[in-house]
Amino acid sequence: MIVVKDVCKTYVLFDKDWKILQWVFTHKGYQSRREVLNHISFTVKDSEVVGLIGINGAGKSTLMKIIAGITFPTAGHIQVNGKVGSLINLSAGFNPDYTGRKNIYYKGTIMGMGKSEIDSIIGDIEEFVELGEYFDRPVRMYSSGMSARLGFALAVYCNPDILIVDEVLAVGDKSFQNKSRAKIMELFKAGKAVLFSSHSDVLIRQFCNRIIYIRDGKIAYDGDVEEGLKLYNEDISKKGTRKAY
Amino acid sequence: MFKAIGFILKEHRENYRQIIKMALINTEKQTVRSSLGILWTYFHDIVYILVFIMFRLLISGFGKIDGMNSIVYLLTGLIPWFFISDMLNQGSRAILSNKGIVQSIRFPITILPTIEVLSIVFRRFFTFFILLIALTLFGYLKCFSVVLFFYYFIALVYLMVSMNLLLSAFVAVSEDFHQLYLAIVRVIIYSLPIMWSYDKVDSTLIHILLRINPMVYVIRGFRNVFVQGMTQNIGYSAYFWISITAVFALGCYAQYKLRKHYADFI
Repeated sequence: MIVVKDVCKTYVLFDKDWKILQWVFTHKGYQSRREVLNHISFTVKDSEVVGLIGINGAGKSTLMKIIAGITFPTAGHIQVNGKVGSLINLSAGFNPDYTGRKNIYYKGTIMGMGKSEIDSIIGDIEEFVELGEYFDRPVRMYSSGMSARLGFALAVYCNPDILIVDEVLAVGDKSFQNKSRAKIMELFKAGKAVLFSSHSDVLIRQFCNRIIYIRDGKIAYDGDVEEGLKLYNEDISKKGTRKAY
Repeated sequence: MFKAIGFILKEHRENYRQIIKMALINTEKQTVRSSLGILWTYFHDIVYILVFIMFRLLISGFGKIDGMNSIVYLLTGLIPWFFISDMLNQGSRAILSNKGIVQSIRFPITILPTIEVLSIVFRRFFTFFILLIALTLFGYLKCFSVVLFFYYFIALVYLMVSMNLLLSAFVAVSEDFHQLYLAIVRVIIYSLPIMWSYDKVDSTLIHILLRINPMVYVIRGFRNVFVQGMTQNIGYSAYFWISITAVFALGCYAQYKLRKHYADFI
């Protein structure tokens, strides 16, 4: 379950980097502020698959990063029950000089998994990513799709209770996409709470049973999938009304 | 301030397994592409030691420094220096170089500086060993004091952990700080009594200024382990522990204040 209560996030911009230090201790010296999220509140129950839509810069990714515990909200609080599996920036945290296998252990350790825990899933991961002999070659030799596949496999096999998926289902070729969607579907059906962001209406319709539409850092719509998509598409076709960053 | 120290200590206690595991993995981070791996690190160290000895020989022969064999003088100075220079050069980039972790994985960021320090300690262990053997060959084992050795070793690790908490925070914030800091490191290197003895300095003022740097305490300390009669006075010991504790507290405070902002700024 994810409970988001009154979350605000303001990014502070500086003209010189070192002023960050001044700002952290005195709250002065910044150039401008940009409110990315403005009093966002919602709850995602278990076995609910929530689609998050909105234009680029609306605050979807920031919201997901806050829920994943990567950045922190300026105000408000988040309650997350269970282990979060975040599919954000899949190939991050890999060391390009390590082999695929070693990277699974490496990133697994960073994510706080024990060795035995990783041992028990490494077989499944090897089979899932279909890298063949490349699994034991350094990640720097991988194509971008291959390393994303590795990241995807680790994120879904680490047995999360809550899944955060940030526009990453376009990973790999067609056959891997089908496979990863099937795997995600499996997790969805296992009753996990899922937050899913995508720009594809097709995927949203296929997976989600609720939609949250974020516009300029506020929740513009929360509820039925078709209604939300309709509103979103109407907004997009009204050219000139959207605020571009 | 106390809240900050409490927070940092709590994060370290809760994640101690992860700290040790990641430190062990990181020991081979830089040399993993080579076929000799970590052996290269030791090779560099040996070359470094030999160059130092050659240099000393060419300049002033096998004279005595501070009443010690000059080679022993150099080697004992190099023991802590290897650790400190790694801390200054690589450890301080702990947060900066782990950008990927900071920006996209949920992770207790405040343990990163400690992970880097421990990985330096693990990696340097063998170099330590070489130096110990060399000192034994020079016949200095008879004075070797295990108790003092452990005391100074703990002091060294404490110094590294504390300074790195503070340094890595500053270095991560701004490239300006990083450059300024690199310039200061140059000064520090030559102000330490590794190649030369402070006894050559006449002015008491400069003497005091040089000794303000707590690293001097550790470097002199490791000589102390091998040479009897080279004890340090209680006042300087107290100064060391108090100043490093102050650095530790400042480091905790900086990390505590900045931890929520790293992901947005780096």
